[in-house]
Amino acid sequence: MSTTIKRNGDEWQAQAACIVPDWKQPEEWQPGDALLLPVDAEPNPAYRDASLIGIEFPAFTDGRGLSLAVLLRTRVEYSGELRATGAIHEDVLHYMVRCGFDALELPPGRDADTAVRLLAPYSGHYQGSVSQAQENATRVQRWA
Amino acid sequence: MYQYDEFDRQFLNERVAHYRDQTERYLAGNLSEEEFLQLRLRNGLYVQRLAPMLRVAVPYGTLSAVQLRKLAYIARRYDRGYGHLSTRQNMQFNWPELAEVPDILEALASVEMHAIQTSGSCIRNVTTDEFSGAAADEVLDARPYCEVLRQWSTNHPEFEWLPRKFKIAVTGATHDRAAIAVHDIGLRAYHDANGQVVFDVYVGGGLGRTPVIGALIYSGLPEQHLLSYIESIMRVYNRYGRRDNKYKARIKILVRAMSAEGFKAKVEEDWAHIKGGSAQLNPADLEPLQAAFAPPLFEDLDDQQADIEQWRLQHPAFSQWLHHNVVPHKQRGYAAVTLSTKATGVPPGDVSDEQMDAVADWADQYSFGELRISHEQNFVLPHVPRKHLLTLWQQAQEQGLATANAGLLTDMICCPGGDYCSLANAKSIPVAEAIQRRFDDYDYVHDLGELDINISGCMNACGHHHVGNIGILGVDKKGQEFYQISIGGHSGHSGHDAALGQIVGPSFAREEVSDVLATILDVYVEQRIEDESFLSCFQRIGLDPFKERIYVNND
Repeated sequence: MSTTIKRNGDEWQAQAACIVPDWKQPEEWQPGDALLLPVDAEPNPAYRDASLIGIEFPAFTDGRGLSLAVLLRTRVEYSGELRATGAIHEDVLHYMVRCGFDALELPPGRDADTAVRLLAPYSGHYQGSVSQAQENATRVQRWA
Repeated sequence: MYQYDEFDRQFLNERVAHYRDQTERYLAGNLSEEEFLQLRLRNGLYVQRLAPMLRVAVPYGTLSAVQLRKLAYIARRYDRGYGHLSTRQNMQFNWPELAEVPDILEALASVEMHAIQTSGSCIRNVTTDEFSGAAADEVLDARPYCEVLRQWSTNHPEFEWLPRKFKIAVTGATHDRAAIAVHDIGLRAYHDANGQVVFDVYVGGGLGRTPVIGALIYSGLPEQHLLSYIESIMRVYNRYGRRDNKYKARIKILVRAMSAEGFKAKVEEDWAHIKGGSAQLNPADLEPLQAAFAPPLFEDLDDQQADIEQWRLQHPAFSQWLHHNVVPHKQRGYAAVTLSTKATGVPPGDVSDEQMDAVADWADQYSFGELRISHEQNFVLPHVPRKHLLTLWQQAQEQGLATANAGLLTDMICCPGGDYCSLANAKSIPVAEAIQRRFDDYDYVHDLGELDINISGCMNACGHHHVGNIGILGVDKKGQEFYQISIGGHSGHSGHDAALGQIVGPSFAREEVSDVLATILDVYVEQRIEDESFLSCFQRIGLDPFKERIYVNND
């Protein structure tokens, strides 16, 4: 079974994913639905009204989903849950968090404790990010 | 030089700890080969033909004597007593043990060095002019901007997983010694009419299988917008660059597919959303960096011209070295010195631990404790008082670092090739050595003048063969090593625009390469007008006279 790690205020919690969202594809989607986007989706302003957005990574090395997350958070101003799904693993989660994901669905077989431990390996960052406001105020942001 | 503050030190210590954790999880079987590959690449570790290779970042080619001594220590303690200077101003070690790499990274961190993002599909070490802060033709020292880019691109959350590697080069001089036209992004920094720092932004240059000269997409970008504009370029590339074929994944392919105008439009559409926002670079933030790279406390020195003339008469070899390896400095009484690693019989760019220690000592004695690694794979001492030149030359001779060939035929750029690299189709080091042995007559080489010979062992072009005045490329023909030769390439310095070489024709066996080179040089010597350089001569007479002679002789 897969595990989803979710942000709850300053805390992150792992929970077994018992309930699978009723994902809708961009072609069939309606406001209020859970929307599952491929990494090459364009940031449509209408997505602001989704109840949940998932971005499905075909490989953990595919950075398109990171730029899409940034655009959903900044340009689309989507403020609901943004979930990374697909081929992700514990060593890329910290980048995802900083790009605006607040839920991370680990594939079956990955160790959730390791994943939670590695969510924030760095106490400071050289560049700003969309998650900065949510992060501990003591963290330094060197450049914008 | 830039000195780390508490923030940098803490980040780097956390990075080493993070990589140690990754290595341990890999060795314990909790990370797959494929997963760990991506992580170790981003920490500089390749697995090569014979052993792992660790590429240490030397940001924009500047390092201190203290740092070089640590590299010498690493060469002794973890390697076989030598390191290799790369064309991107880094230092590579060819024999580290995978399990010891976290310890090496810890040793590097103790002198404010690292191997972060020296490989993998991410933003690599930013390179610049090896004579920054010293060159007489410098408009401004680009290193503060290189350091901003180094910091900004380090562990960038959005741009760590690009379609392919990404290289940025910056120049602040009239003569572009950073080869900005053949980088993914090339930046030329200068002052506009109001005295403000601005940048010309080139994108989509590169070598490899598809060599391309970069396109100018923004002329005079104000300093405050440097990071935001680059952020938009990176975002467009990250989103639209091809990921289905690694040979078509570099930004140059995207720029060509969209056209330079189309690419620019896409970048500026994104940029319109962020240029006025928090991504602006503030002069106040730049101040500490400008201060870090302020000129050292130069003394008011005499240029020692009388002494130097005397030394030249006494030591003809010193005179040759002075002519080729010593360049004018912006400060009277000083000079910038190239310590050539291209002695015959030594693989170009290879330096021993003893040589590193010696260079570190000379940097302390003569150059404010600072030195550089050049794109041509040599050491540079940037600020040497001219009164010490004879002593330095004598010391460098003892260490085999005084070959008077900077910029000449025997100062070849050469990748590690088939002797080390698992990508190579052919060896490159033995070709370089054969050429050095064939052309060992100083007077002849000196008479030929400025001549860049660049050798790559495969079409990935780490030896930059496309931009060599004469380029040599190792190719595989039915399991045999052959060499394709091109003429007329140029990386964009000394008043010539960057240009890609033209292939002369069918390739040659390794033992033929030196003869072909000799033929090419004969044609040049016969055809040149007065002191016309090889490149100027080629540009005037074209490829045919060379081609005719090479293949006639070959029949």
